Amino acid sequence: MRELSHLPFLSFFLLLFALLPFLPLGIWGAFLLDVGFFIQLFTAMALSWDLVARTGQLSLAHGAFFGLGAYGAGLLAPHVGTLPALVFGAFVAGAGALLLGSVTLRLHGLYFAIASLAFSEVLRTLALKLAFTGGPIGLPVPPPFGGVWPLAAYYLSFGVLLLATALSLWAEWSPFRLAQAATRQSEAVARVLGVRVVRVKLWSLLLGSLVAGLSGGVYGMKTLFLSPYDAFSLGRAVEALVIPIFGGLYSTLGPLVGGVVLVGLEQALRLWIKEGYLVVYGAILILVILFLPRGLVGLLGRRRG
Amino acid sequence: MELLLQTLLNGLLMSGVYALVATGLALSLGVVGIVNFAHGEFLMMGAFLSYLFFALQGLDPLFSLGLAFLAAFLVGGLVYQGLIRPVLPAPELNQMLLTFGLSILLQNLALLLFGADTRVVAPSYQAATLTLGPFFLGAVPLGAFMLSLGLLFLLQVFLTRSRLGLAMRAVAQNRLAPGLLGIEADQVYLLAFGLAAALAGVAGVMLSVILYASPTVGFIFTLKSFAIVALAGLGNLKGVVPAALVLALAEALVSTYLPGGGGLVEAVFFLVLFLALVGRAWRSP
Amino acid sequence: MRKALGFLVLLAGLAWAQTALKVGVILPLSGASAVSGKAALNGIQLAADEVNATGKAKLELVVVDDGTDAAKAVPAFTKLMTVDKVDIVIGGLASGVTFALSGPVKQYGPLFLVIGAASSVVEQAFEGYPLFFHYHPWDYHNVAAALQFFQYLNREHGAKKVAILYEDGPFGSAGIGVYKQQLEKLGYQVQAEPYKTGSGQFTAILTRFRAFAPDILYWIGYDVDALPIATQARQVGLRPKLIYGAPPSWPIGFERNPLSNDVAGMTAWLPTLSNAESRRFVEAYRKKYGEVTEEYMAPMGYTIVKSLALAVEKAGSNEKNRIAEALATLRMNTPFGPLAFKPSDTGKTRYQGFGADIWFQFQYLEGSRRPVFPKDKASRPLRYPGEYYLR
Repeated sequence: MRELSHLPFLSFFLLLFALLPFLPLGIWGAFLLDVGFFIQLFTAMALSWDLVARTGQLSLAHGAFFGLGAYGAGLLAPHVGTLPALVFGAFVAGAGALLLGSVTLRLHGLYFAIASLAFSEVLRTLALKLAFTGGPIGLPVPPPFGGVWPLAAYYLSFGVLLLATALSLWAEWSPFRLAQAATRQSEAVARVLGVRVVRVKLWSLLLGSLVAGLSGGVYGMKTLFLSPYDAFSLGRAVEALVIPIFGGLYSTLGPLVGGVVLVGLEQALRLWIKEGYLVVYGAILILVILFLPRGLVGLLGRRRG
Repeated sequence: MELLLQTLLNGLLMSGVYALVATGLALSLGVVGIVNFAHGEFLMMGAFLSYLFFALQGLDPLFSLGLAFLAAFLVGGLVYQGLIRPVLPAPELNQMLLTFGLSILLQNLALLLFGADTRVVAPSYQAATLTLGPFFLGAVPLGAFMLSLGLLFLLQVFLTRSRLGLAMRAVAQNRLAPGLLGIEADQVYLLAFGLAAALAGVAGVMLSVILYASPTVGFIFTLKSFAIVALAGLGNLKGVVPAALVLALAEALVSTYLPGGGGLVEAVFFLVLFLALVGRAWRSP
Repeated sequence: MRKALGFLVLLAGLAWAQTALKVGVILPLSGASAVSGKAALNGIQLAADEVNATGKAKLELVVVDDGTDAAKAVPAFTKLMTVDKVDIVIGGLASGVTFALSGPVKQYGPLFLVIGAASSVVEQAFEGYPLFFHYHPWDYHNVAAALQFFQYLNREHGAKKVAILYEDGPFGSAGIGVYKQQLEKLGYQVQAEPYKTGSGQFTAILTRFRAFAPDILYWIGYDVDALPIATQARQVGLRPKLIYGAPPSWPIGFERNPLSNDVAGMTAWLPTLSNAESRRFVEAYRKKYGEVTEEYMAPMGYTIVKSLALAVEKAGSNEKNRIAEALATLRMNTPFGPLAFKPSDTGKTRYQGFGADIWFQFQYLEGSRRPVFPKDKASRPLRYPGEYYLR
């Protein structure tokens, strides 16, 4: 029942995000809404990364899934409208994940990480060279629903976060969790236990990539512009991995808390320290690892225990 | 034929520096068991050290080679003692985040101190060239290649002849054995991590002459080093040189023979890596 | 009566001069464009100090970092609008980030004084936005200025073949098609090859260029590529008569490197320019920061604030629309030459500050950069062929 005890926290965070536009935040309201938009997207990325990591696959391809989703949605949005375009983008990312997953089934740990990194770099070059992506010049993307509703982008990103949280919770509460954990700890043992390792790994990667693809799609509709270096950035993949470790791995609450704290912290540090704020950011990462080996949620566990 | 040989020569020369940087990474990964994202930052330190001595003292980068080796060794040792040792029992992912945080910290410290500008040195031999019949070899790339090979050879001698070196290899091959043999694992780790940093530091000095010094100069080399180490097989120190050679040659061939190849160099580098990793995984049972 | 009225006007004038005008500044102080961003900020702060010292207008800067990243720029911009409540924003250096700001800019409607963002896709994004003042030339201006130089090289020096090295990001490859076409129209034979910026691996491409034997080796890339290209061209035995490049900035220490000799490039400004505004700027900059800047973004930032102060003075108001009206008809001298706003060449935006004519060509000669083209800006004749050919 460990995971149920986190439910109040989870609901609190989600409720906070849902009601953020209506909270009396005074002059900081609009700013916090923008920050909240990106926190939701990057937290969804982190949750989707964690979902994949629970099978032992350290994905550095999340930047690529993000980019595939962003370009898929961005290219289609002017023709078919916002929601179908987002779904299409997610499917493109999912197709990429199935392609990557099916050839890298036998790679583990760092080998998988490097292979997924290589996959991501190759895709970025493709986006740069292919004619229909706009190449190096970039791709303008229309705002969601023709820009009619000012809150549309925010609630799209909230939707992505909600989906990511739901998937993560489902994976945490269902027998899927045991299959994932067994696969992570030892594939051979998992097979003996009757876990269909191939399916578990592929499903995890597919679900993770769908969320990452949606994040990318919504991101493009907010920034209104995509370039291969931005959309397929390795930094995006690294951020998706940093947040869960920072917050607490293999859980739903960890990436959620990690995302809110870390993305929020970065925005805050940049505003108040200005020059060299990343020095402080790096130092905080180091300190958390040194003193909170189980991430931020380790604090909760310790207090209760 | 001439073009092919020249291309192979270009690739060969580049492989030296790749191998040097990647060997450092392989040492910290194979011996200490740390995925060090901050490896390129030791390289960056070497490059800046070379630039600063050149700009302020007029010191030839050749002299900085030794200084950078020592300085990077020292910093590497300190990093090991202060940051790496406490997280050795922690899960791999925590260690990765720690080195990632260190990388951000060091890069931005450099940014704060020196700015993001690209900085270059100007030793007299920078563009010197050796011509052998129809072929040409840049003196600096050639020197960097020879020095890299020399250093790797010395490392090999150290690993096979000295007691500490043997201990290091023992750790690399079997992370449980040294405890059984009564080898001071901690000392071995410290030395390995220091050496890894030192190799990157020396490479940084070479790159300050071939390329430039800037806070981000290390990034692409960290990336490629990971690729090389993965191709060689984690912990396989001997495989690093051939792996570096394969990737450097692939790069050179692509940029010579593929139309528009200059823009595809990195994609091919990673494509080769991807295919090699996947291919090897499917071949082995 | 007239006297009293005059006195009232004077009083009113004093009153608005006393209330500080808040100006938002959003620049990349970290990330890929940090060098240019910091240079621009230095210039902006210098000009604000000068303006405040005169007492004719009072500017209060609110600076935020856009991190050269849309995800950081958008919230930072919103904060300027809603928390700091500024009506005037100086910024927009990197094109991609500026594009991302087009949404919130249209939402909040500030007077937007744009320092960079040369890519003409940005022009499309801001099409029809009434308070968009773009100081920097557009990319088609850059192309036009370079082509003028190539025309001169062809006519006066008989140059016929150009080998182009272009980096494969947006900076290098956005205009490459146009370049090739236009150069061929001028009568050039063109060979163009992409490369990865910062890779330092040019030997293969340069070797291939050797068979083509170009008169001009032209690279469109970044500062990190300057030295490797100069070095490796010599090493592979490529002997162009001119090495010409157009990076946004040049490496520090390059001028002291003998390999930079006779390398030519394009810029909008050099600290050695002889016009009065530029000399005044360099002197003031040295006084405040203790050094001379080589980055043209520093005087660009300086120019924007100076023009804004003049417009505020002329408008006699802190209201953004009044200031915009005054700015639209402003004429002033700047370190780049005269500034006046007119509709852009494409007609998409209404207020374009500088055009192709602020660009000029320089050459590294005896350890410093000197203007060599066009004639009215040249302080030295172009050395053609350069020493890399004469070896």
